[in-house]
Amino acid sequence: MSFQIPIGPQHPALKEPISLRMTVEGEVITDVDMRLGYNHRGMEKLAEEKSWLQNIYVTERICGICSHSHATCYVQGVEKLMELAPPRRGLYIRYLVAELERVHSHLLWLGVAGHEAGFDSFFMYTWRDREIVMDLLEMISGNRVHYAINTLGGVRRDIDEGQKAKILEGVATLRKRSEYYFYIGANEPSFVARIAGVGYLSKESAIALCAVGPVARASGVARDVRKDDPCAVYGELDFEVATADTCDVLGRVVVRVKELLESYKLIEQMVKGLPAGDIAVKAPRKAKPGEVVSRYEAPRGENIHYIKANGTDKPERLKVRAPTLANYPATVEMLRKGFIADIPLIFAAIDPCICCAERTVTLVAAGSGEESVVRMSDLRRQALARHQNAPVKRNAVWPL
Amino acid sequence: MKLAVFLPELLRHLFKKPATVDYPFKKLAVPADFRGTPYLSPEMCIVCRACERDCPAEAIEISSVNEAEKRFKMIIHNDRCIHCAQCVDSCPTTPKAMKMDSLFELADDDRHKLKKDWVYVRAVLKPKAAAPATPPPAAEPKA
Repeated sequence: MSFQIPIGPQHPALKEPISLRMTVEGEVITDVDMRLGYNHRGMEKLAEEKSWLQNIYVTERICGICSHSHATCYVQGVEKLMELAPPRRGLYIRYLVAELERVHSHLLWLGVAGHEAGFDSFFMYTWRDREIVMDLLEMISGNRVHYAINTLGGVRRDIDEGQKAKILEGVATLRKRSEYYFYIGANEPSFVARIAGVGYLSKESAIALCAVGPVARASGVARDVRKDDPCAVYGELDFEVATADTCDVLGRVVVRVKELLESYKLIEQMVKGLPAGDIAVKAPRKAKPGEVVSRYEAPRGENIHYIKANGTDKPERLKVRAPTLANYPATVEMLRKGFIADIPLIFAAIDPCICCAERTVTLVAAGSGEESVVRMSDLRRQALARHQNAPVKRNAVWPL
Repeated sequence: MKLAVFLPELLRHLFKKPATVDYPFKKLAVPADFRGTPYLSPEMCIVCRACERDCPAEAIEISSVNEAEKRFKMIIHNDRCIHCAQCVDSCPTTPKAMKMDSLFELADDDRHKLKKDWVYVRAVLKPKAAAPATPPPAAEPKA
């Protein structure tokens, strides 16, 4: 006897709207169906109406947590299209902010994982320490969330000696704290018992389902754009790709803590080896016709932007593949054979950013299950036609 | 494996001061490069409209008041502003006509009250000569 349990679109366990439909037998999940599209914002269409420069700020607002990763991915692509070579100092500052962002994102996720596992003091402490890195980001860029440090051909703000010293000091504190969390994670039996063996994703299925980021790395697939296709500065820095082979939520915690430690290493190298020179070159207003695919390792995994230029000052097409979208098929696999009580934990373990992954709306006919994509103008026409044909509700009253 | 490894850390925090501040009474200082609200120094503005063109949120509006007298009006819609400071970067004058202040308590009960406008005469800047020495005449911000 199997039942279907709907979770979402609005649900206390989810921070953003998504609909998960679980088919369960007793307590065990046998099948999962995901419905997206509750948070679609039309970002890609908007990007076609803004200039290359304005689009940096549009792409930055795709995600609130990994805002810098989308802006960097976009800027990398546009620089390739415009054949710009940003100065080395500019690149170092850009990827320094990128690593600081990874630190803040992973600390945030560790807190969420602790919270979902019922370990709320862990959540409080990681989020307290996250303030250190948020303050560093605010000091460098002038804002806590949308750093707006990228511009076409470099970065917008330089860092001075005093800021360098503060970054190194902050990173030293954070490293001490992260090592302590690593110790806690390994030694707190109740926490380990809660997350070990939950949300199993084998190495084979991680590869077959194209999982990205910490989800893939926790299943033993050492896949990292920073290492596989080193963009700009990563080729000359010393770091390792963190992996784990337990293939469960425990592995995803371990991978993220290890990545934190690697990021501290990268930040220290970049701050100490910061080359002298300019931070940006002047960018043209128009790009030659052409297309480019830009890849970037966001905290959640590989981020891909496809950009097509038609010779004007606006892009013809901007396609964004956020890492969360790539991890959805793997999530379905992870949830299968799991328990209902593990759903929030497993789902949180991919670090979902739902509104990043919302790119299109599909209409599904309730009766036949037929799917169709409709233009906005057609939808409007249908709505108007329906309104005209419907009888007027004469007894409808305003309730207040 | 041992029980309650987190306990010493938790107990230590019983004797610490709170990490937060008493917000409305005490305020944290913002960093030097904080991006607050954009404002115009009308004596420097040459009406090149670079800020209007580059603003991603279309929050800046420049219109002509009197063509003969070269009087212009700039409206900054702070309800639309996303505080990216691109207008400051795009501003070609030195010193910049567009600047950011460090205000962050911008809330109001009506979005239209957040508008700020300036009516001013277009500045004519000699190359490199017109430093901030000349204090401006008609330059009063009207809320």
